[in-house]
This record gives sequence, structure tokens and C-alpha cells, in this order.
Amino acid sequence: MSETPLVDELEKGPWPSFVKEIKKTAENMEKRAAQGMDIKLPKTARALLKQLEISYKDKKTHWKHGGIVSVVGYGGGVIGRYSDLGDKIPEIEHFHTMRINMPTGWFYTTKALRGLCDVWEKWGSGLTNMHGSTGDIIFLGTRSEYLQPCFEDLGNLEIPFDLGGSGSAIRTPSACMGPALCEFACYDTLDLCYELTMTFQNELHRPMYPYKFKFKCSGCPNDCVAAKARADFAIIGNWKDEIKVDQEAVKEYAKWMDIENEVVKLCPTKAISWNGRELKIDAKNCVHCMHCINKMPKALKPGDERGATILIGGKAPFVEGAVIGWVMIPFIEIKKPYEEIKEIATRTLEWWDEEGKFRERLAELIWRKGVREYLKVIGKDVDVRIVKAPRNNPFMFFKKEELRPSPYIEELKKRGMF
Amino acid sequence: MTEVTYTEEEKKKILEQLSKKTWKIPELAKVIQMDKAKVKKIVQDLIDQGIAAYWSSGSTTYVATKAYVQELEKKRAQG
Repeated sequence: MSETPLVDELEKGPWPSFVKEIKKTAENMEKRAAQGMDIKLPKTARALLKQLEISYKDKKTHWKHGGIVSVVGYGGGVIGRYSDLGDKIPEIEHFHTMRINMPTGWFYTTKALRGLCDVWEKWGSGLTNMHGSTGDIIFLGTRSEYLQPCFEDLGNLEIPFDLGGSGSAIRTPSACMGPALCEFACYDTLDLCYELTMTFQNELHRPMYPYKFKFKCSGCPNDCVAAKARADFAIIGNWKDEIKVDQEAVKEYAKWMDIENEVVKLCPTKAISWNGRELKIDAKNCVHCMHCINKMPKALKPGDERGATILIGGKAPFVEGAVIGWVMIPFIEIKKPYEEIKEIATRTLEWWDEEGKFRERLAELIWRKGVREYLKVIGKDVDVRIVKAPRNNPFMFFKKEELRPSPYIEELKKRGMF
Repeated sequence: MTEVTYTEEEKKKILEQLSKKTWKIPELAKVIQMDKAKVKKIVQDLIDQGIAAYWSSGSTTYVATKAYVQELEKKRAQG
């Protein structure tokens, strides 16, 4: 009879099962320990299943969240977790999570992965999550006393790794694979992400802000890292000029694709026309939605004047509701050493740090203080493209004295009716 | 950026508060009526000296003296 009958139910069916994977890890860790390898927590993965079984029976969690962050000099990168079943299952009394800063774009060599796994098999449960929602490599389950040696071993690998961000700090910046893999990339997302990570090291490792702050870099408006929905500071590749059209390649597509119905009619602003011989795009009305480029990548390409749009405030629902990032800088050139972006980010962080209330994200601060004030902070002018939602309500409000008096209101005032 | 300086008296004042509970920096600055940048600097130095420590819920980070945090952790680990 299995010790974990309820949990075992989740192994059934054709789909992937986390229970199967935990069991595989548990077997592997026990086998390696039996072979005499230096493994500190050979029974933790198995113990995790036992705790889950109890939780399913009791219909409640047995985790206690939060704790010390005990890597010397750092305030983030470790999420403390304890079990209240420590007396019954001592192997799982501590089950801290470590967040490891992933390589930009999530490129690994097998050697780097082997190094990571070797360290984690020695000091942790062996369970990993590739990757967490912020993008970090997640190491699941270790004891407080193993955090420091694990961290040191990671730093001493031939391809070393550092901890990522957690708590009230800048979280690990992330980027799409950009020009390394994608022809649509309008700037080098990998390099900018690395530069931001290095520039804000102190702010990443030493949490002192009102709450979390996220940078994400996407190479084009496809936004493969969902920067606009998830990042307080989203840098999304964009272009200024017209989409480049290769008419010969369009004709090739026309041989097998219904361009009229699959591309022209699906253009959100009806900016495309196709007469069977030539495809025309009205650049002024193009909103860079990427649909036509995605449908005909060999024929259409982003323009030559490339850079990025900066969107501010993207966040999940906690506190005041979810926000899709607002365009604050419609176009910015992205050139090494990225001084302008770093300057805008620094001013943003300083303002938020000074004015932000506890657990107030940047979007909520802008809501409270106004876009006008934020634009002053970053030294930018109002732009007609700064809107709260596309083709909807204007986001920029005028001061009373800037408004032209309404003749209607004036008339009402004259009549003593206002 | 101008360098933040502080007195031993101010450091002592913060240390006294940090030994009482886990604090968020802005809250601590408000209670002791001290500039936030100064509080941050003092807390950071105390952490570097191993006197203070971070405590994190995962999403939010607090600070207290190392002794206080260790005691808190001991209690939590014991249930």
C-alpha cells in the first residue's frame, strides 16, 4: 500500500504529472546517497509528497511562508518556508526556495545546467522549477544552514550563478531571446537586460523599496516576455518608419495564402490594401500590432529606424487591480551604454522610493500622483500617444487654468445657474 | 548623489527600534522621524556589520536586529 494514495491519483492520465517528477527526483536522490555521494537532503523530495498527502487529507496547507534571508550581504533571492509538520516529517521542517538569476534569454550550455544540478543535489532537495514566473531558476527546498554554502558553490562554478531578486527589491530583469533567435528584434534585448542587471545590482540584492519592481525587455511588439502586462518598466522593441515590404515574397505567399482574409481584413486599423499584385501599408495608421508581419515573416519586416517604446506600470491585480503598462515614452533609441534608459529608470526608482506607500507599485503611485508629475520626474513632455487605454479615454488631464472657458458654462454662470 | 552621513546617536536610536520588532524602512523612518535615506544608510551599515538582518515574506522585506530575527525564526521553525 502506497503511503500517498491521494497524491498518487495525480499520476494517472496521459498528461505530465508533477507527482511523477517529484518521485523521480526522490528516487534519484536516494540512489545517489546510497552510492555514497555527498547529498545533504536525500529524503526531502519524498517527504514533500508525504506532506502533500496530509494536506490533501486535512484540506489545508501546512506551509508557513516567509523567513530569514541568510546569505551574507543579500536581502533577497531566498524565500523562507517552514512546515508545521516538522515533528512528524523532520525532513521537510525547512523547505526554503532559492531564486537563481537565469542567463539572459534563458540560454544554457549543458555544462552550466550540470553545474547547477550538481550544486542543488548536494545542498537541496534536488527539485527545481525551470523557470519561475519572473524567469529565475527556482531551487525548491533546502535548510537554513545550507543556504550559504549552496550560494558559495554556485558562485564558484566554472560558469557561476548569482541569486535573483525577491522581496521589496528590483526583481531579476528578464528579456526575450531577441536578436539571438529572432529576426524581428528591434534592439539587443539580451545586452540591455544584462546591463540593467549589472547596473542595479545593489537594488536587486538589497531590498529597500516600497514593494517589488520589475524590468522586462521585449525585442518587438509581439512582447514574448509579456513585459507590458508584468513589468513596472517594460522596454518593448519598436520602429519609427514603415514596415519593409518585399513585394516578390508577398506574391509567393499569395500562391497559398488568402492574403485578403488572413491579413488585410484582420488589420485592426485597416491600414493594409492588396490588389493581387501589390501590398500597401499605410504607415500613419499602422499600430504595429505585428499581425501582418507574423503572418508573412518572409515578406514583411519591421522598419529600419529601430528602438523601443517604454511602457510603465504593468502589474498583477494585488492592491489596486491589474494594469497593462501605459506608454510613457513612445520611442527611444536603444544604444549602448544605454545612459538615457538608465537615467529614466533611476529617476523613476528614486521617485517611487520617496513617494510610494507600503506595497504600492509604480502604477498605483502614478494613479495617485498623476501622469503629469511622473513625466516631470523623468523629464519628458506630454505626448498625444500617452493614453490610459488605446483609442479610449485621454490619460493626460489639464489644469483648470489651462482650460478655455466653456461658453455654455459661462452662460450658465451669467444666469446664476452654475 | 550626496553621501548620507549620520551620528552614533541616530544609529543607536535605530538599533533600539530594530530590537523590538521587524520593520519596513518607511514605517521606521516615520516612527523615529528621521530622513528615509538616512535610515536606509544606517540599516544597511548595520546589516553589513552583522548587527541587523533582513526578514522576508517572499514578496515584502522587513528588517530587525539579527538577534530578534533569529529568535523569531526559532519560534516559527518550532511551530
